[in-house]
Amino acid sequence: MIRLSSLRRTSLQRVTFPLLVLLSVTMILLGKADQVMLESLRIAVADAAAPVLEILSRPLSALADLATRARRLVSVYQDNDRLAEENERLIGWQHAALKLASENSQLRELLKLTPEPAATYLTARVVANSGGAYVRSVMVYAGSENGVARGQAAVTGDGLVGRVSEVGSRAARVLLVTDLNSRVPVIVEGSQQRALLAGDNSERPYLRYLDTGAAIRIGDRIVTSGQGGVFPPGLPVGVVASLDGGAPRVEPYVELSRVGYLRIVDYGLADALPKPVPIVPRGGRRGERSADGQQSRR
Amino acid sequence: MVLKAVTAATRQRVDNAAARLLPIVTTLIAVIISIQPAPIPGYAAVAPAFTLMAVYHWTIYRPRLLPPLSVFLIGVTQDLLTGTPPGVNALVMLLARAIVLRLRRHFVDRPFPFVWTGFTMLSGGAMLFLWALYCLLDRALIDFRSTIFRAVLTISLFPAASFLLGRTQRSLMSTG
Repeated sequence: MIRLSSLRRTSLQRVTFPLLVLLSVTMILLGKADQVMLESLRIAVADAAAPVLEILSRPLSALADLATRARRLVSVYQDNDRLAEENERLIGWQHAALKLASENSQLRELLKLTPEPAATYLTARVVANSGGAYVRSVMVYAGSENGVARGQAAVTGDGLVGRVSEVGSRAARVLLVTDLNSRVPVIVEGSQQRALLAGDNSERPYLRYLDTGAAIRIGDRIVTSGQGGVFPPGLPVGVVASLDGGAPRVEPYVELSRVGYLRIVDYGLADALPKPVPIVPRGGRRGERSADGQQSRR
Repeated sequence: MVLKAVTAATRQRVDNAAARLLPIVTTLIAVIISIQPAPIPGYAAVAPAFTLMAVYHWTIYRPRLLPPLSVFLIGVTQDLLTGTPPGVNALVMLLARAIVLRLRRHFVDRPFPFVWTGFTMLSGGAMLFLWALYCLLDRALIDFRSTIFRAVLTISLFPAASFLLGRTQRSLMSTG
């Protein structure tokens, strides 16, 4: 190693600091302008780091599992009673569902309806969150090697979490429905009102482009509409939690910040998204891209 | 006898190298901790800025071992891992390092409350700067509440981080 005299070292340091600050600023501006280059860089880093992060996140999740188990142990009797009661009720529902399913298939047969393609599932572990209030995404330890592709839906048993926005060979990034850039076409169940569920980095995304006369009530269920072809119709998203003037807020069914495992679902619709992120002149706000990757109406 | 002397010398060299890498390694660990998904409601948005704590600590006690270049690279790594625009964390931490370095003499060998007060002001400033930067980048007025929560959480967790970093420093860096 070359030993620098202290004088030279100081002068070198005097130059490196402003240079690095300049470089940071340039990177911020460049990253805003050229999303494609940025994405490949991010994916390369994610691919390299995901195995390490996966191992490191294990102790914490083990600890969390332990805490959950301890909590469950306390309420095991009440839970058991409650579940037994629920089970009885659900068996009734099961009979109803089976009857309806057979009736449904018979009717479909009569109408010669083309069957919907079966979805394939893949469970992936969340290995990193976005750490901060300004980006809402998570990194999962599954990539193109496992069959993950851009645009696939990320769900849990409770409902929609987000969509796969970047894919590497081993890792992928999932943009949560609460992110500023997230736009999901939805339907208000019951009234069949169409709207766009838009994130704004808060815990509750809001509904945009609702009809002005739309009768929305707190507690209305919100499901995906399937418009734009990114998500299949009917995925549960959340419930209307507050009316907030003209932009009702939706409480997602999934507790997004606590998700440890995600199911990445391939509905065979992934081709609906244009492959690379198109470079659009940033005329509007950062959040103006809709879920199907196209510039949304203002 | 000779062998013993040689191994001792090698060991010391290895120890020294480990000690010299300590600031960079602990700051990287701080990056990893701060992006860990924790099963706490709403955690991701208010995850404490552990990296800032490490940068602050080492800039006060061993500034030479955490040069601007490593601060920059660590910041960029964090940006790329978390999906934030690259350069944002790097910029914040570079500026934080420069400011702390200038005011360093007020904190070295001072009782902990001084150090904590310094960190309180630094992280408050850093959070405010981050918020303003994102407002500018997103061209929108972003809700300020989670920024406040994050700052409070970061400041209140600093004593624990400082204790741990200090302990590691003392055990691995016996000589100044």
